[in-house]
Amino acid sequence: MAVLARRLATQFQLLEAPAILKPAVPPQVVESEALRNLRATLEASIASKLTSGSELVRAVARQRRDEILPTTIPPLDALLGGGLARGKMTEIAGRGTRFSIVIATLAAATSIGEAAALIDASDSFDPQLAEAAGVDLRRLLWVRPHTMKETVTAAEMTGATGFQLVIIDMGSRRPPGRRVPDAAWVRLARVAESHGATILVSAPYALTGTTSEAMILAYAPRPRWLGRGNAPRVLAGVETKLKLEKHRRLRPGQTTTVFFQCEEAVGSTQASVMTIPTADTRQPTARAKAS
Amino acid sequence: MTRLACFYVPMFVLAARLRSEPDLLNEAVGIVEGNGSNAHIVAATRRARKKGIQPGQSLAQARSLLPKLIARGRDAECERTAQEALLEVAETFSPRVEDAGEGVVFLDVTGMERHFADDPGNAGVSPAADAEVRLARAALRACDAISLPARVGIAASKLAARVAAELPKSPIVVAPGEEATFLAPLPLTRLSPELEAAAMLQRFGLASIGDLAKLPESEIASRLGEVGRELHWAARGIDPRPLMPRPLPPEFREGMELEWPLVALEPFLFIANAALDRLSKRMEIQGFACKRLEFTLTLDPEGYDARGIDLPAPTRDVKTMLTLMRLDLEKTPPGAPVVGFSFVAHPDRPRRAQLSLFGPSAVSPEKLATTIAKLVSILGDGRVGMPMTVDGHLPERYSINVFSPPPPPDMKRTPARARGLLAVRTFRPPIPIEVTTREAEGDDVQIASIRSIADQNSDTRQPTPDTRRRVEAGAKVEIGGTVRICSGPWRIEEGWWSDRPDIREYWDVELERGGVYRVFRGGATEWFVDARYEM
Repeated sequence: MAVLARRLATQFQLLEAPAILKPAVPPQVVESEALRNLRATLEASIASKLTSGSELVRAVARQRRDEILPTTIPPLDALLGGGLARGKMTEIAGRGTRFSIVIATLAAATSIGEAAALIDASDSFDPQLAEAAGVDLRRLLWVRPHTMKETVTAAEMTGATGFQLVIIDMGSRRPPGRRVPDAAWVRLARVAESHGATILVSAPYALTGTTSEAMILAYAPRPRWLGRGNAPRVLAGVETKLKLEKHRRLRPGQTTTVFFQCEEAVGSTQASVMTIPTADTRQPTARAKAS
Repeated sequence: MTRLACFYVPMFVLAARLRSEPDLLNEAVGIVEGNGSNAHIVAATRRARKKGIQPGQSLAQARSLLPKLIARGRDAECERTAQEALLEVAETFSPRVEDAGEGVVFLDVTGMERHFADDPGNAGVSPAADAEVRLARAALRACDAISLPARVGIAASKLAARVAAELPKSPIVVAPGEEATFLAPLPLTRLSPELEAAAMLQRFGLASIGDLAKLPESEIASRLGEVGRELHWAARGIDPRPLMPRPLPPEFREGMELEWPLVALEPFLFIANAALDRLSKRMEIQGFACKRLEFTLTLDPEGYDARGIDLPAPTRDVKTMLTLMRLDLEKTPPGAPVVGFSFVAHPDRPRRAQLSLFGPSAVSPEKLATTIAKLVSILGDGRVGMPMTVDGHLPERYSINVFSPPPPPDMKRTPARARGLLAVRTFRPPIPIEVTTREAEGDDVQIASIRSIADQNSDTRQPTPDTRRRVEAGAKVEIGGTVRICSGPWRIEEGWWSDRPDIREYWDVELERGGVYRVFRGGATEWFVDARYEM
């Protein structure tokens, strides 16, 4: 067995390939007796790379949960320390361009083959625009609840089913029906934790309280028009300011500005997503980086 | 040599009823056939038999022996579904199954015993035991799983297999070529209990099947005719009847006749839950899931109410099917008390997917189907699914389809940078507005102010902080105010070939009080807001 393992040592190099698994899967503390005996007979360099199938599966699951899902909007990703944390709930609140962020996040998740669910409480999703923004509609489950309670229930069910990304969009006003109790958000956060789902809540005001991993405040946006004076005008896009209101691993208070352009004005502006740095933009602290 | 197995359910009438009402298993129950003074017992549970209740007694006689006897009428629906369930179990052992009716099923198990040579579930069987015994024991376990106490016999002919199955020490396997030896010590009534010829032979002094087999065939035939010849063949273990396999059923059926009419929904759903559970287990045995559920309610005093529910995806989840049934019945009640029901499940293959280790994990098709069905039951049709674009020019066009995602890629990918498009929030349906316009260059029209028709009586002053707070807290958003910047028009024409083509002119307007809206003119005077640029 030991000889066979030595011969196969080169096979374990696959685990070091960045495309498959990175970082290399560390051995589990709890190991079976047979595996422990086998490791004891091997050289230390080979034994450290020996992994059983069950350990590998657990490590892959753990690694998936430690990952982040980038929103592919660089200023926002920088604000969130790379993107939305998997297995956590993130909230975007305010009057800013929340729905554009939602669409971009859907495009990011579905374009890499992940299944996403959009709980569209305001029934305002436009499939034409989403497809133009890069959303793979085949991987998107569109749920249109009527009330607040149905919204949270649908999010909980889809999260528990195994959707990697679940987005709740409340629209620009609260859905009809009574407010859901705070315990519902706690339950939703637990669903995200236990199933490794990324949950993004987009609402005009803060809903999730202390249960969310991070909260972004989107300030009122400013539209930008092309053309001046008596010349015909074309809506170029909308600029909005985002502020990291709360984060469990990063220092809050950082701000950034993002610009979303109109589909008709694509090509008229210099960059697809224009970043306008502000004076109070700060880098993550050393403590945050370490964590 | 052909090997045939027989599944036999003793007291099938009673077994079928107890399968539907398992709570009666330990009670003194008698199954009654006929009405009024003609009502007589056809089967009774062990507890009732211990008190002297026997088949053939009238109900009055049985009641005099046991006043607490629970009498249940014969339920044709229960018996039919129990027989279907038995056939489905048989089909998991062999594709060639014959329905002999009343709890008897024959199946061709030639060569099938090889699949049970190393069955781990038969640890107690000695190594010398025949593989066919293991097959028969597996069949007994499968029958127990569907709550039918069956017996199993395996032999080279249908007759020997049937007789072996009827014996109490089940399973019994008759070795090939030893049918006559097996039958010889058994009484003649085992051959054909319903024929008078067997009784006549007993009067001749023939006690066992072996006694009959020893007599010359021609002598028996000359005295009893063709029936005697067939009996003599049967006594020697010769059964020329071939197996007549039945075609696979296109649907699964469960049902029950109720003892009393049900008016409320909850008691009916309680009984329906058990029936759906049985239906689900039967489909699971065959590897099917329910794609469409049809149910027929028998109404009191007469009439039927037939309904059908199309499930969004094949599922075996009882809770989901029950929820859909509840919603359907709450929406349109049957209008009369229910005295019976019949469920028919149209099967379909459940969705399957190959999971990936290194790529994104796929959603389990079974869980996905169940979740979608539950969501549809909560939110209604057309509120859950995969969004789809539709060819055309109108911006609000869309369709919704069944969500069936393709398998994820084998390897993980990095998402591309976002296009950063500005999203719009679509209003469904468009909000009618009143518009004031001003002259512009050429024939174009520029919008000076807008106001939603529903808000004509509302105050159009600039929003105060209180108003903003109200809006943020969830109050209805008002659309209206002076236009600061107006961009347009863009003309769209669709359906020019039809009698009523859709011709629209679109504008983007930014209001003084904030917000950029997409406004269109549908006719000469009809104005609408159909979207708001995400603000």
